[in-house]
Amino acid sequence: MEEQLTKKQRRELKKQEKQELANKNRKKEQNKSLMMWLAVIAGIALIVWGIIASSGDNSSVNVSSSISDIVEQDHVKGNPDASIVIMEYSDFQCPACKAYFPIIKQLMSEYSDDIAFVYRHYPLTSIHANAEPAARAAEAASVQGKFWEMHDKLFENQSEWSELSTKLAEDKFAEYAGDIGLDVDKFKIDLGSKAIKERVKSDSQSALRAGLNSTPTFFINGEKIKNPRGLNEFKFFVDNLLQR
Amino acid sequence: MFNILSTKLNTAWIIVALVGFIDATYLTVVHFQGSYLGCSVISGCNQVLASEYSSIGPVPLALFGALYYLLMLLGFIFVLDRKSKTVLEILAYLSIAGFLMSGWLFFVQWKIVEAFCQYCLLSALTSTLLFIFGMIILRKINYNHTIEDSN
Repeated sequence: MEEQLTKKQRRELKKQEKQELANKNRKKEQNKSLMMWLAVIAGIALIVWGIIASSGDNSSVNVSSSISDIVEQDHVKGNPDASIVIMEYSDFQCPACKAYFPIIKQLMSEYSDDIAFVYRHYPLTSIHANAEPAARAAEAASVQGKFWEMHDKLFENQSEWSELSTKLAEDKFAEYAGDIGLDVDKFKIDLGSKAIKERVKSDSQSALRAGLNSTPTFFINGEKIKNPRGLNEFKFFVDNLLQR
Repeated sequence: MFNILSTKLNTAWIIVALVGFIDATYLTVVHFQGSYLGCSVISGCNQVLASEYSSIGPVPLALFGALYYLLMLLGFIFVLDRKSKTVLEILAYLSIAGFLMSGWLFFVQWKIVEAFCQYCLLSALTSTLLFIFGMIILRKINYNHTIEDSN
């Protein structure tokens, strides 16, 4: 009888031990799974943070003086001696550049004494077939002292010439030259001249040297800025600098 | 049931979903930072991302994409953790929706916006792969059902 009891007890004990072990294992498993989920969530949070951080503020990239200083060939609007220099690398065929055109115009009308605005060419020839000819058109107009007039005309009528063949686009540019009162024959000669081509190229090359890959790219006093979302953001930059 | 899954398939699913998630998250971040406000030499990305098809109201499609891939990723880890066949089946069916959406967006880039954005193409690729994996899984599930039925 006693022996049997012990047997029974032993069996119970064994059962209990087994259950405990199972419980322990289950708990271990649960802990493992909890740890895994924590790791997964931490990993995802890290990834999201990494993406935000890396694509975020690389706004204050200092570049060589070739970009920050106004050079003789630059087209400057506003006050050339102003303490604030805004430089734009732009492409006449780029819709985003066109979108910034009225913003810059408004900015310059409000701060004409405080800002020197410089326009430099960066025609993205791989995606915009008529961007380089358009840049040449502005330079050809510049020969006759009307760079900004052509600049405005090109942006205002961007949709009119963007999709044309280069030949027809150049005809269009000659038409604009007439509209703004240029000597059209001279304009046409300058448009195809080597000097003008080289002039556009020198701007593009400075953009490439600086590693720029999109337009418009703005520099304020030599620092590349993230494209402002509108006039107010531009004003914010400028007001901050003026207060200093 | 877990003869449905294999280490190869598990790894592939997780990697593809993770790549899709990183890609879509990047596009979402770019959207909210407004960094696409420009023309880029690299591709027609800005054109695509600035188009009206890239968002529903103020919400960028990329955000939906990021959530989709996150669901595919976490859901799959859940399946591995809890051996849930139901969730696996749901994910496999969801991959069809993801594939169809990608198909539509590919069409939009090709015919409507007429510009391709490499990040969007990558997403099309990852969702297509998930769809293929999903179909493999569904086929195996159905095959198992047939065996169970015949038994």
